[in-house]
Amino acid sequence: MRSPVSWALLGLVIHRPSYGYELVQRFERIHGDSLELSSMSQIYTALDTLEHRGLIEEIAAENGEVAGVRQPKPHYRATAQGVSEHRQWLVGQLAEERRRSRLFVRQLAMLAAPDALAVIEQLERSCLREAATAGPVDGANMPVDGHATAERLLSEEQRLAADAKLSWILYARRQLTALATRPSARR
Amino acid sequence: MTLLELDRVSRHHRHGALEHVVLRGISLTIEPGELVAVWGPRRCGRSTLLRIAAGIEPPDAGVVRFAGRELGARGGDALGRGVGYVRLDAHQSEGRVVLDELVLAQLARGVTATIARTRAHEALRRAEASHCTSSSTHALDSSETVRVALARTLVQDPALLVIDEPVKGVDLLERDAILALLRTFADEGITVLVSAGDATALLGADRAFALSEGVLRGEHVREGAQVLPLRRLAGV
Repeated sequence: MRSPVSWALLGLVIHRPSYGYELVQRFERIHGDSLELSSMSQIYTALDTLEHRGLIEEIAAENGEVAGVRQPKPHYRATAQGVSEHRQWLVGQLAEERRRSRLFVRQLAMLAAPDALAVIEQLERSCLREAATAGPVDGANMPVDGHATAERLLSEEQRLAADAKLSWILYARRQLTALATRPSARR
Repeated sequence: MTLLELDRVSRHHRHGALEHVVLRGISLTIEPGELVAVWGPRRCGRSTLLRIAAGIEPPDAGVVRFAGRELGARGGDALGRGVGYVRLDAHQSEGRVVLDELVLAQLARGVTATIARTRAHEALRRAEASHCTSSSTHALDSSETVRVALARTLVQDPALLVIDEPVKGVDLLERDAILALLRTFADEGITVLVSAGDATALLGADRAFALSEGVLRGEHVREGAQVLPLRRLAGV
């Protein structure tokens, strides 16, 4: 299962069992800035996929009716397998980030040094902007609840990532400048 | 109107026969009510840049203008006349009561005792440090030290606050509250120029720059002609 929408949806169901429409609302509120839905039906398709793979299951509705018979709003909860696979997927994201980093740096190294330096400069601006806008400025005053905690964690993660990238950019600029000023510099 | 302008500012430090270029022809304009942050590694010259911007240290070349007037031309009296350089370690060793310290600094400038006390209380309130009024400066924690230092500068009613690493050493849980406070000052119309050795301290800046090898990189031209404070945008 490759779709990040499906994994994000599984995360929402793990957090709180629910039904399709409420999950669409929650998805847009929590992930709307990073995952764009083409339509509401994408969530229903993803729910089918998750259920088919045994990662979620329908549960009995509150009124006692058995889900799946004449239930207009089937509720879903995560299975033990769903919780386990979601955890593995989360950890796997770090490997995915490393893969993207390798790809970026090797592509950068393919460029002529002045072009690479220009890319570095753009990246630096982007990192500075990201650090300045990573989350609400008054996050410290937000209440202690699940949503605010997630926002604070996200802000800190983005700022620390920007800090690390900015330090890397200083190093990369020195290396590329040295390369560009070598008599036998490539191209 | 631009409040602060650095025009091709350069600075060198000499160590014996060796000359180290700290700032290489840096130009920067800052508008009223902007919060501008300068990030850089250790010994990159960010403190030097801030001291020059505040008129404490002269540049070797180039000009610094505050409200259209050259800082050097004021005979070095920019501090206290619109430019507030926040000294985070000032007077801490003397162990005075916070209120007394804020009042005494004003009395030395000829302010009457009544007005000085009123201004001190107001500055402490704005810096969210009213609870420190009767504390000894010895007893302040890292966050309170910053807040009291801000209050000490606010009593001068500055148009520009210059602060070198305001959250360095501040407890992680208090760090963002200090950054939010600086954002509030900017939203109220005070221009704020800060440095940061750690990019986590850039949060809330209208523009952030990176300083290394004497070069300042970032958004030199601010997008849009007018600064729109975040709080006013949000209708608060």
